[in-house]
Amino acid sequence: MKLIRLAISNLAGSSFRSWLVFFCSALMAGFVVSGTLVIRGADSSLRLALERLGADIIVVPKGNSQRLETALLMGIPAHMWMPDTVVDDIRAVSGVEAASPQIYLSTLRGAVCCSVPEMFLIAYDPDTDFTLKPWLEKNLEGGLALAEAVGGSLVFVPVQDGALLVYGTSLELKGTLEATGTGLDQSMFFTFDTAFKIAEESSDLAVKVLDIPPRTVSSVLVRVGMDQDPHQVALAIAEKLPNVTPMETSSLFQGQREQILSLLNSVVALLGITWLLGMGLTTVIFALAVNQRRRQIGVMRALGARRTVVLQSLLMEAGLLAIAGGIQGIAIAALAIYLFRPLIVRLMGVPFLFPGFLPLAGLGLGALALVLVGVLLAAAIPIVRVSLQDPAISMRE
Amino acid sequence: MITLHEVSKTYTVSKELTVPAVRNVTLDVARGEFVVITGRSGSGKTTLLSLVAGLTRPTSGRVLLDNVDVWRLPDAEQSLLRNRKVGFVFQFPSLLPTLNSLDNVMLPTLFADNADPAQAKQRATHLLEQMGLSDKLHAYPRQLSGGQQQRVVIARALMNEPQLLLADEPTSDLDETTEHEIMGLFREIHQQTGVTVLLVTHSAELGSYGTRSIQMAGGEIVAS
Ligand SMILES: Nc1ncnc2c1ncn2[C@@H]1O[C@H](COP(=O)(O)OP(=O)(O)O)[C@@H](O)[C@H]1O
Ligand SMILES: [Mg+2]
Repeated sequence: MKLIRLAISNLAGSSFRSWLVFFCSALMAGFVVSGTLVIRGADSSLRLALERLGADIIVVPKGNSQRLETALLMGIPAHMWMPDTVVDDIRAVSGVEAASPQIYLSTLRGAVCCSVPEMFLIAYDPDTDFTLKPWLEKNLEGGLALAEAVGGSLVFVPVQDGALLVYGTSLELKGTLEATGTGLDQSMFFTFDTAFKIAEESSDLAVKVLDIPPRTVSSVLVRVGMDQDPHQVALAIAEKLPNVTPMETSSLFQGQREQILSLLNSVVALLGITWLLGMGLTTVIFALAVNQRRRQIGVMRALGARRTVVLQSLLMEAGLLAIAGGIQGIAIAALAIYLFRPLIVRLMGVPFLFPGFLPLAGLGLGALALVLVGVLLAAAIPIVRVSLQDPAISMRE
Repeated sequence: MITLHEVSKTYTVSKELTVPAVRNVTLDVARGEFVVITGRSGSGKTTLLSLVAGLTRPTSGRVLLDNVDVWRLPDAEQSLLRNRKVGFVFQFPSLLPTLNSLDNVMLPTLFADNADPAQAKQRATHLLEQMGLSDKLHAYPRQLSGGQQQRVVIARALMNEPQLLLADEPTSDLDETTEHEIMGLFREIHQQTGVTVLLVTHSAELGSYGTRSIQMAGGEIVAS
């Protein structure tokens, strides 16, 4: 017979106590996993979205900053226009290293291509672009040609059509960008030339004409020099060009960040309470159990069990419950967060990205280790006390 | 086999209250003796057995088992000594309720690092058969009568072929017929294996089962 069999038979012998500790472990692990998933999911979503933008400052026509944020975050198309002369004006501002214009469009309402009623379309200038370039260089040699596009992770080619139709023009989807959890996952990128081609053909092919006002752009993405302060550069742009709003990407999504921060506070508070209760209850339960089994422990010592063996077998009981309960809690928490993703986005008002398998497995293992340590520590207090007792005293009534 | 030299044990209940349970006991038990210890409740019999087995530390005096001072040994060696040399039969129900008879009897091998499981099972089965429990190998303690439980405990005590068998009022919960059966069993075991036996009982009439009888009162040996 092995010590572990003794531990399991002891656990089976007192099922109520075992269930309680199992439940505590599940709760503790579950809260760690769900809390971390929500916070990290929201945080990494925003971070990836900002990385995707790849600019220090986004310049939009005055009064459009809020609409752009919504467009980027939720994928709700925003239309805005300013004369293309601003591009050169911005380049002339000191501290600006690169500036590249973009044109924002949207698909027709109810287009079959997309999971959203209207898809946010972003046309970029391949000659000056620096935001999509790193991805294109790595994944698509030569960049995007005419009538080619890359899409966010949620953009797909409809099976029955075999083509991506935008205002009647069929585009070839050349690649899919990594998921960010934001509106960028529902948007599509192509070059200025493709945008103009779509607009030109739309009068023949589409029910509605796509109108791109001549010599205009929607926004200008700005990268500042190596040792320039984006804030100073933004101020300089605002001063020189009164009709635009320079948005610093570092302070983009401020509302969502605050939301995440307050969410983090609640999660930490909830975690603290759960763990305090879980560990406290575990200590009490083991104190009761150990006290109830004092005689049995004395008998084991009399039969030749070393002090450390008694310690081991009791800690093993705690550890088994922690692992079994922990796995259960982690699985349920991960599944619940996965299934209720849309609800989280709606209730919390933050974007959300569910992690891939490896980070998820890492998180699960981490939470399991944490719960194991927590439960062992909590149970160790009464267990160590009883194992230090004289066996003769343990055996007395 | 056993030497107690001026052994005392005083329990400290609180600062004001100390209980002298065993007082200045000197005792020699030779190998192969069957010593029956009698005395009223509270006279220190259980404490004396605990002292012999190293289950409680004497307040003063020395306890030698085969000329080894038990309390000079570190816990691991002391435990090993108990595991190898000493068999226990307790006054209270001491079987693990979640294990069946076979597993209970094999329990001591769990604490000996070098036990061979197949051999252990064979020996445990054999011992239980000897105790007349061949049909109760897989029964749990709650399915056994008091006398049957005590027989399993005796089998467990014999598992590691001890040189010393300590029994603390092994028949206190049993009816008179069963009591004599169990006492007869001890005598049989003693005669067949030559094991040294130290048996505590509250009834003086059972003294005749041993080769030597000792009486305790107030923590001291008053007659032997
Ligand atoms: N752990 C203990 N703490 C305090 N007093 C004890 C303890 N164990 C035994 N005693 C006391 O020591 C005396 C002897 O007890 P014990 O050895 O159990 O006697 P017996 O087995 O002969 O009934 C009794 O008065 C008992 O109350
Ligand atoms: Mg007693």
